[in-house]
Amino acid sequence: MKCTMCGAGPSACEGCPIGSNFFVSQRLASLAPGQKATVRRLAAESAADLRKLLALGLLPGVELEVERRWPAMVLRLDCATVALDAALAGAVLVALAA
Amino acid sequence: MRLVLVGAPNVGKSALFGRLTGIYAVVSNYPGTSVEITHGRFTSHGRDVEVVDTPGMYGFLAVSEEERVARRAVLAGGARTIVHVVEAAHLERSLPLTLQLLTLGAPVVVACNLLDEARRELRAPDLALLSARLGVPVVGTVATTGEGIDELLEAALTADPPVDGWSLPEPFRSPAIRLAGGQEEGRTRLAAELALSGDESAEAELKPDPALWRLVAAERDERWSGAEGYAVAVATARRRMALALLDGVVPEADPASVGRTMLLDRLALSPWTGLPLVAVVLYVGFYKFVGGFGAQTAVDWLDRVVFTRWVAPLAAAVTGVIPWQAIRDLVNGPYGLINLGLRYAFAIVLPIVTAFFLVFALLEDSGYLPRLALLLDRALKKVGLSGRAVIPLVLGFGCNTMATLVTRTLETRRERVIATLLLALAIPCSAQLGVVLGILSAWPGAVVVWGLTLVVVFLAVGRLAAAFLPGEPPSFYLELPRLRAPKAANVLRKTGARVRWYFAEILPLFLLASVMLWAGELTGVLRWATGALTPLVRLIGLPAEAAPAFLYGFFRRDFGAAGLYDLAHRGLLSPAALTTAAVTITLFVPCIAQFLVMKKERGLRVAVGVLVVATMIAFAVGGLVGWLLRSLGGWA
Repeated sequence: MKCTMCGAGPSACEGCPIGSNFFVSQRLASLAPGQKATVRRLAAESAADLRKLLALGLLPGVELEVERRWPAMVLRLDCATVALDAALAGAVLVALAA
Repeated sequence: MRLVLVGAPNVGKSALFGRLTGIYAVVSNYPGTSVEITHGRFTSHGRDVEVVDTPGMYGFLAVSEEERVARRAVLAGGARTIVHVVEAAHLERSLPLTLQLLTLGAPVVVACNLLDEARRELRAPDLALLSARLGVPVVGTVATTGEGIDELLEAALTADPPVDGWSLPEPFRSPAIRLAGGQEEGRTRLAAELALSGDESAEAELKPDPALWRLVAAERDERWSGAEGYAVAVATARRRMALALLDGVVPEADPASVGRTMLLDRLALSPWTGLPLVAVVLYVGFYKFVGGFGAQTAVDWLDRVVFTRWVAPLAAAVTGVIPWQAIRDLVNGPYGLINLGLRYAFAIVLPIVTAFFLVFALLEDSGYLPRLALLLDRALKKVGLSGRAVIPLVLGFGCNTMATLVTRTLETRRERVIATLLLALAIPCSAQLGVVLGILSAWPGAVVVWGLTLVVVFLAVGRLAAAFLPGEPPSFYLELPRLRAPKAANVLRKTGARVRWYFAEILPLFLLASVMLWAGELTGVLRWATGALTPLVRLIGLPAEAAPAFLYGFFRRDFGAAGLYDLAHRGLLSPAALTTAAVTITLFVPCIAQFLVMKKERGLRVAVGVLVVATMIAFAVGGLVGWLLRSLGGWA
């Protein structure tokens, strides 16, 4: 498996020059309310799902905060509030903010 | 000249349209209010101006049907000025689309709407700076108060085509885009970009040009490892450009303090407090106001005082001079134009529908419905729908015909078919709801049986439909608008517009129904049809007198319910029989208007299928409920 941004394997992730950190991210669906994170990568299963994520503004580099995760995920990003279900949130890979 | 209003959902395009043209397009606080294109014309400075209001779109890569409608309207050729309506406080979300619109070649004006909210949050953008950077006019507007409308119109009427400086950064100036560039209006270039992103209709547009298509296909796979890679990369690049443009335009604000969800928001979203809140809204808004005030107090007054005391004697006196009995019956007979057509429309249906639309407008404008969508998403997934279906389903409690039109905002055909079926079957419209609640209100147990039956049918039929209809399971994604205090003027205006729409739709049908019933009685067809229905009506345990109410139901759902109202007042039905009748008539066939909309939106096959399924289920469930009530020895 290779990083889609730089083409290298997991070992290159340490000090990634383009901030991709392909291999050191976790799924948005696993975050708890109050946690902040940056979107790293979209791993949608279908083109339609990907378009939904793009429509919500979930793009690599976007910072977000989880407000609630039940009955659906609610996120704050770009001063807007968006909601998505767990299946879609599972397709977003994020890196937790320090 | 033509102005095309485009922008993300719920930024106020319809409100601006209303300000510009003086025509009312329905305005709400939820994404997906407009599902169709609205046109308006007016004259300004001696020029004929046409304004086009489009459904909301997040970008050119369309997800839903209404986004495709909007995209077609933006791309439709000819001289036009594009007015990109954006939310002043959310520029970083809208500007990427502005950049894309700028490559089309048509003049672009940016309307920064909802400027008042941005000011309140101390995030009002520097419009002059943004305008200088983009090279196109940027006008601040507050559509609800009219601020900035004249400036917007002025700017739109005098706007020049943009200088083409907004092509993407180097990696995106690919051979395919370069080849497509320079062609008419940048439309082909946009098509190339969308085809690289995997958009099917853009691919179809490019395929007639084999050289270009080969280039797109090769580039997509070799350079971007597929359409999805390209789509994400190009969106990210545009966002970076937008953020760079906005540097210094939007005041730095502490993100923690901006647009925070309020306490009320948290109460509405948490299931622990949200579900009780739904119950309160249902009880106060619908049961008390629509069912109580609308369907009882107002109906009683209009029917017993206005019609019985004033209109009926007057009508009798006037028609008394007509020498022919048949014509007298047509005007003033029991099925006549006055007693059936006008009385049902004005005394029974009007107060109920008006009360419902008033409550619905308050819910819409507050922004509560998207919260309800989120709250009910998991439950709706069980019947093959997503939380988004809340909006057509709740609207269905007002008018199923209107709601069937709105199912267009649902994403897949499977969801649209399921929602259409459930609307036709298990969602009573406001007139039915009001009349049924009015009739059954004397027996709380009957209301509970009726309500539970509908819920069970809704869940069971939805479950079955979800199991048997092929297609992907639904997914839920929605931008939550802020909670806003509804403005009385908009609530009243919207209610007025909807009631007018509704009446234009039903009054001719009510009158037509009167004429047909009159002709049916005159020719004996009515007796025959009632006779044919009687065994079916008896089968579910109702007296033969209930048959005409079912016949009326074919004309309008509410018409049937209104017929039931008459029966109840004549004391012909026992509580158990009334409950059975209410259940059957609620589930029974959609009205003519709804059937026509189903046919238009879903096709004849689905429309007829729904009709057959609904009729069978209505009588089967009605019969079952009647039998259960009788054998349990309830209140029969």
